[in-house]
Amino acid sequence: MEPHIRSAFDKDLEAVQAMVMKMGGLVEHALLNAAEALDKRDEALAESVRAGDRAIDELEDLIHTECARILALRSPTAGDLRTVLTVMRIVGSLERAGDYAKNLAKRSLVLSQMQVVAGATSSIARMARSVVGLLRDALDAFAARDAVLAEDVRNRDAEVDQMYNALFREFLTHMMEDPRNITACMHLHFIAKNIERVGDHATGIAEQVIYLVKGAMPEAERPKVELAAGIPPGRKD
Amino acid sequence: MEDQKTMKDIHLEERVVSDHAPRITARGVNVHYGENHALKDVDVDILSGTVTAFIGPSGCGKSTFLRCLNRMNDTVANARVTGQILLDGEDIYDKRVDPVQLRAKVGMVFQKPNPFPKSIYDNVAYGPKIHGLTRNKAELDGIVESCLRKAALWNEVKDRLTAPGTGLSGGQQQRLCIARAIATSPEVLLMDEPCSALDPIATAQVEELIDELRASFSVVIVTHSMQQAARVSQKTAFFHLGHLVEYGETGQIFTNPRDPRTESYITGRIG
Repeated sequence: MEPHIRSAFDKDLEAVQAMVMKMGGLVEHALLNAAEALDKRDEALAESVRAGDRAIDELEDLIHTECARILALRSPTAGDLRTVLTVMRIVGSLERAGDYAKNLAKRSLVLSQMQVVAGATSSIARMARSVVGLLRDALDAFAARDAVLAEDVRNRDAEVDQMYNALFREFLTHMMEDPRNITACMHLHFIAKNIERVGDHATGIAEQVIYLVKGAMPEAERPKVELAAGIPPGRKD
Repeated sequence: MEDQKTMKDIHLEERVVSDHAPRITARGVNVHYGENHALKDVDVDILSGTVTAFIGPSGCGKSTFLRCLNRMNDTVANARVTGQILLDGEDIYDKRVDPVQLRAKVGMVFQKPNPFPKSIYDNVAYGPKIHGLTRNKAELDGIVESCLRKAALWNEVKDRLTAPGTGLSGGQQQRLCIARAIATSPEVLLMDEPCSALDPIATAQVEELIDELRASFSVVIVTHSMQQAARVSQKTAFFHLGHLVEYGETGQIFTNPRDPRTESYITGRIG
């Protein structure tokens, strides 16, 4: 797309998109660090994730203010309008993902005082890396206006759902084997569920990118994983 | 579903015009000014009960096309119009059509308010008088009042109908011109940049008026203000270099235009 006649408009739009990428980077780090803190029982790292959420929230406020300014002063249309709308929705998703990272860090502090549940935290760290990969690709698709990559992210979320289902069964087994595992497994389950939700947010971002590029939300249903026995259906959006 | 309609749904339906019948049908319209090919093969349906905005950079042909719709181009010496324009199924370029009668049916409001140097009353009464639309003074009074009311001007001028129209403010003058244009009960109202000489409040009043007029007339508005086109119209046509590039529902044009030239123009990338 060629530049605007008014170059300040381009600068405004570029600035707000750069802030989204920065916010995305912070969220990716928070998720990876929180998962590592959980796996390594690193309380200092967990504390730094908790404290770092503030920067993410502040960036969200700043981006919303900038978007409101662009809407009011520039009256964007067509692709420019879709850019601003997409930014606002992506930022909402990133903020939620940041909260989940913070929640993971908090739970890791509780879990570090408890008996280890064999294999669980490394599985969760693996799932977190997977989800961060989705998030990163969704944001790269946004930066590059790449609808093909966005479609790919949409299809890959099913893998995360599968990991979550496997973990769910694992935790159930641990709890049935030894009731003393129940508290830890409940925390671990919330963590797994929250990471799975981050995957949904990455999918949501990918769908926004498709809207941004094509002007319409994707129509085809994305692949879904059947829920494991006994799992209440989660929110899917 | 039908009985679950909310207020919001009803509001959304107000702006749907896709089921409105075409009032003007233009096919293969070309305009030459001497050697200059100003308008190239334009096909368009202007719907009833709809505000249609023509947008595009200067010299794109939008005003030229607007002027075809009431044969204003007849008055330009070297202008040549070909193709077909039907108003309610009748060819307006047919030899039997009297352009003066046509312009009573297709009224026009110009960029600069141009009231006659006559009283406010006479400005509105002039058209109905020369077209013999009334039988007596009482009927004429009725038309003047109702047109001034429709133009949202009545309350401001009812006590000084004999004062000269040129003594009104710019916004009032423009509404007077609208009252004058609708006094002959036209079917279509053409507006060429009707707000470009007005301040923001007067502009808002005229835009509000345009929306109300849509109930009785088809309105076609040429505007350089993209925001105005977005605010007042239900259909938008984008002209570029004499071509009608894209014609569609206004919301679609401004959120998801199909043609890259439309996108470039409305987002401020080409002039």
